[in-house]
Amino acid sequence: MTTAGGAQDQAQRSRLVSRRTLLVGGAAALAVGAAGTEIGNLATSGSTVTSSSTPPDVDLMEEHGVLKRVLLIYQEALRRLDGQQPPPVDAIHDGALIIHDFIEGFHEPLEEGYVFPRLRSAGQLTGTIDTLLLQHARGRERTQIILAGATAQGMATSSTRQQVAGAMTAFIAMYEPHEAREDTVVFPAFRALLTTEQLDGMAATFADLQRRQFGPAAFAAMVRHVATIEQSLGIYELDQFTPPAVAP
Amino acid sequence: MVLACGLSACGGSPAPDSLPVTKTVQLKVAYFPGFHTSALVDGAGYALYIFAPDNREAVTCTATCALTWPPLTVPAGTRPQLGPGVKASLVGSDAGPGRSRVVTYNGWPLYTYTDDVQPATATGQAIDLNGGAWYLIGPDGSPFKSAGQSNAGASGGTP
Repeated sequence: MTTAGGAQDQAQRSRLVSRRTLLVGGAAALAVGAAGTEIGNLATSGSTVTSSSTPPDVDLMEEHGVLKRVLLIYQEALRRLDGQQPPPVDAIHDGALIIHDFIEGFHEPLEEGYVFPRLRSAGQLTGTIDTLLLQHARGRERTQIILAGATAQGMATSSTRQQVAGAMTAFIAMYEPHEAREDTVVFPAFRALLTTEQLDGMAATFADLQRRQFGPAAFAAMVRHVATIEQSLGIYELDQFTPPAVAP
Repeated sequence: MVLACGLSACGGSPAPDSLPVTKTVQLKVAYFPGFHTSALVDGAGYALYIFAPDNREAVTCTATCALTWPPLTVPAGTRPQLGPGVKASLVGSDAGPGRSRVVTYNGWPLYTYTDDVQPATATGQAIDLNGGAWYLIGPDGSPFKSAGQSNAGASGGTP
């Protein structure tokens, strides 16, 4: 273990200790990497993206976008691990922190407290909801493994690398269909159960809960944060994913 | 388990025996084979958890946290019905949402876990979420801190 690795471990431990406040207190610092970029600027100017005017189902789908981008970060990390490249420890850990704090600690509670009970009481999608809840629990278990293992010291050992890689693989495999099913089936069914007034009231509640937990402009900070991680991995530029024209 | 404070100095006012029992809220003991331990469950058999940051002082899981970890509440002025193995002297309550009271055990506020979709499971055991760690609590009032095996099932009663 090098001295630099030791310092990195120490920094990561510090982040773990303060993980609850990372996404709020660290947002300004983390935004530096994304400052001046198109998405960074959009996120900054869109500080009212999560407001009482955003319907609750749209709000949840936007948060799924953050989840999806962390899945892409995990995929890139797995690609590097498979290629015997140095593991992007910070990117894995920071991505898992977003999942832990924002997705598991905020987004999923909204689903568990507002969306699923409403559908269940209406007798709709009850089997699907049971599966989604169990998947939340399983996802949280995987995130604990990733957070515990994604340190410079941990990733230096083969067994921990395999544990983290296995957890990321399982997480991706589960959450891709999970969020797709929610976006296309669960949220539309939920929306159909509510009146316009109820939707407005719930939108205000969601915005208030987010403000209380993360402070103002939390979603914009989250987008900037995930963009910074993407930049560190070289997967930020959208046009790099455009395939070449099909040969005539 | 090193307790942060003695029972008398912590939150969780003991529920006087004179309070009427609410039959809709029960505290029971079930055995969780995957963890090789007995722990408290509610009347429907769902695992009950303690939240480490509560520190036997107050209900600190509120707002978003309480959506995933709904507290076990009783109407003010009532106490839960107790099953075999539950020590009445350890049962109390703390101020909860609205006019309700959150049931406490040995000073620890008790919560259920939304993701336990079946009774007699403990998928929330020893995870760190919403600002701290969550643990089952034994009938002796001690938090059970082993991670055990995932989704370990429970069986009714003590072994």
